[in-house]
Amino acid sequence: LSEGPGKPPKTTEKNVKEPKPLEITGQDQAYETDGALRWKDDLQQKASEVFLRHQQAAPNLRKHVYGAVLNQGTGQSEELELGGMFRVSRPEKSKSNQADAMDCSRFHPDSLHNWDVEEMLNSIADCFVTGKWEEWQDAATLLKEDE
Amino acid sequence: MTSHGLEYEGCNYFRQRLVLSTLSGKRVRIRGIRSRDDNPGLRDFEASFIRLLDKVTNGTKIEINQTGTVLFYQPGLLFGGTIEHDCNPQRSIGYYLEGLLMLAAFMKTPLKATLKGVTNDPTDPSVDLLKATALPLLKQFGIDGDGLEIKVVKRGMAPGGGGEVVFSCPIRRTLRPVQLTEPGKIKRIRGVAYSVRVSPQMANRIVDSARSVINKFIPDIYIYTDHLKGANSGKSPGFGLVLAAETQKGFFLSAELSSAPQGQGPTMLPEDLGKNCAKLLLEEIHRGGCVDSTNQSLALLFMTLGQQDVSKVLLGPLSPYTVEFLRHIRDFFQIMFKMEAKQPLEDERKGGEKVLMTCVGVGFSNISKITK
Repeated sequence: LSEGPGKPPKTTEKNVKEPKPLEITGQDQAYETDGALRWKDDLQQKASEVFLRHQQAAPNLRKHVYGAVLNQGTGQSEELELGGMFRVSRPEKSKSNQADAMDCSRFHPDSLHNWDVEEMLNSIADCFVTGKWEEWQDAATLLKEDE
Repeated sequence: MTSHGLEYEGCNYFRQRLVLSTLSGKRVRIRGIRSRDDNPGLRDFEASFIRLLDKVTNGTKIEINQTGTVLFYQPGLLFGGTIEHDCNPQRSIGYYLEGLLMLAAFMKTPLKATLKGVTNDPTDPSVDLLKATALPLLKQFGIDGDGLEIKVVKRGMAPGGGGEVVFSCPIRRTLRPVQLTEPGKIKRIRGVAYSVRVSPQMANRIVDSARSVINKFIPDIYIYTDHLKGANSGKSPGFGLVLAAETQKGFFLSAELSSAPQGQGPTMLPEDLGKNCAKLLLEEIHRGGCVDSTNQSLALLFMTLGQQDVSKVLLGPLSPYTVEFLRHIRDFFQIMFKMEAKQPLEDERKGGEKVLMTCVGVGFSNISKITK
């Protein structure tokens, strides 16, 4: 008993001969709660880690849509002058193409998935009526419940 | 309201700005239109779009400076009625139609527009695509009835054009708020394979190859072949395919591909075109949501203009065009959407990440609508 809480209790001869169920359960409980406490220890930290990871994975859409507007007008202010007379007018591909790009509603994502791979085809299988249905909608399970 | 209304720069998002200005009644000034370009100022197709807006409104004031780099637009009242417009063939009719779709329900008299020009090109959403996806979307918001129609009378491919489309739309006083959160499962796929001034066999070849890709998922596929001849076939040859997947709940996801205009770019075999278009449809299904990527901004606009009630729509990833549209909606209507990213579950096989858009409508009402 004098050994630290980290080690399991040794079964001495005394214990074997005269089992004291109450005490043992008491010890077990102590160990259990001890483990539970350790498990609870970094709960907050774990939660915050999960939260941060989630934040990084899903960038804040609201910020993306409504926050970035202010940066747009800044491209204009930097105009180089040559000899104080001429202004260098060079087509700034990266900056001005946003403002003068083609007005088109078509969505062209940067990269398309490879639809020749079985894995990709699998990833949308349940979008179709031929795919797996949710349990509360599945005809087979509903029929079984009726019976 | 400030004296000059809203100010913008550059020619991008041109239609969004003018359409939102017309609906909100706020004046808009656009500066620096291609001011650094070798050929500065407004292009013909933009001028054509302005002229179209002028035709469907009363009292619109437009000022353009000499070089065409500054545009001032003071919107008039939406009038509607029967109009005819020669759409500049630099862009397809879809470009102009997208603008009209946003405005048509709020006219004083129902709109019946005959649009002439290019019906299909590789850049813009084609008339067929808008017919298959935008019209059902209008119905979700309560814009339905007999009068709602897009009819392709003549087909005209880029660059020559020569097509003709009739768009008619009933008017509404108000729009109803929507809750489109559950897309449902795709029950069938429909499509149109069109060909003009080439062998009619082209369309059949497209259909076969497109089927070979999507048949793995669902057997209910029907792709119409549309081969127009003579006066109805426009001025340029070409072919293409439009695919639309319909879910049980009546939502549509679509994709399309058109052959390159005559004399521009390499020609694509009809087999490749069919396959690639089918893959684009799979990509669109992967993105998912209740509204496809082309019509995102149309849905968001109608949510904004809806009754003062909560509207919810589940979308796939927002396209850059839609992101800018959201910013413009904030500028013109002071509405900001609530956006929730929905990550797919571990064992779910329903494509990628979705976004749930929520807003409260501004309670827009069409005051000029005649009550009979």
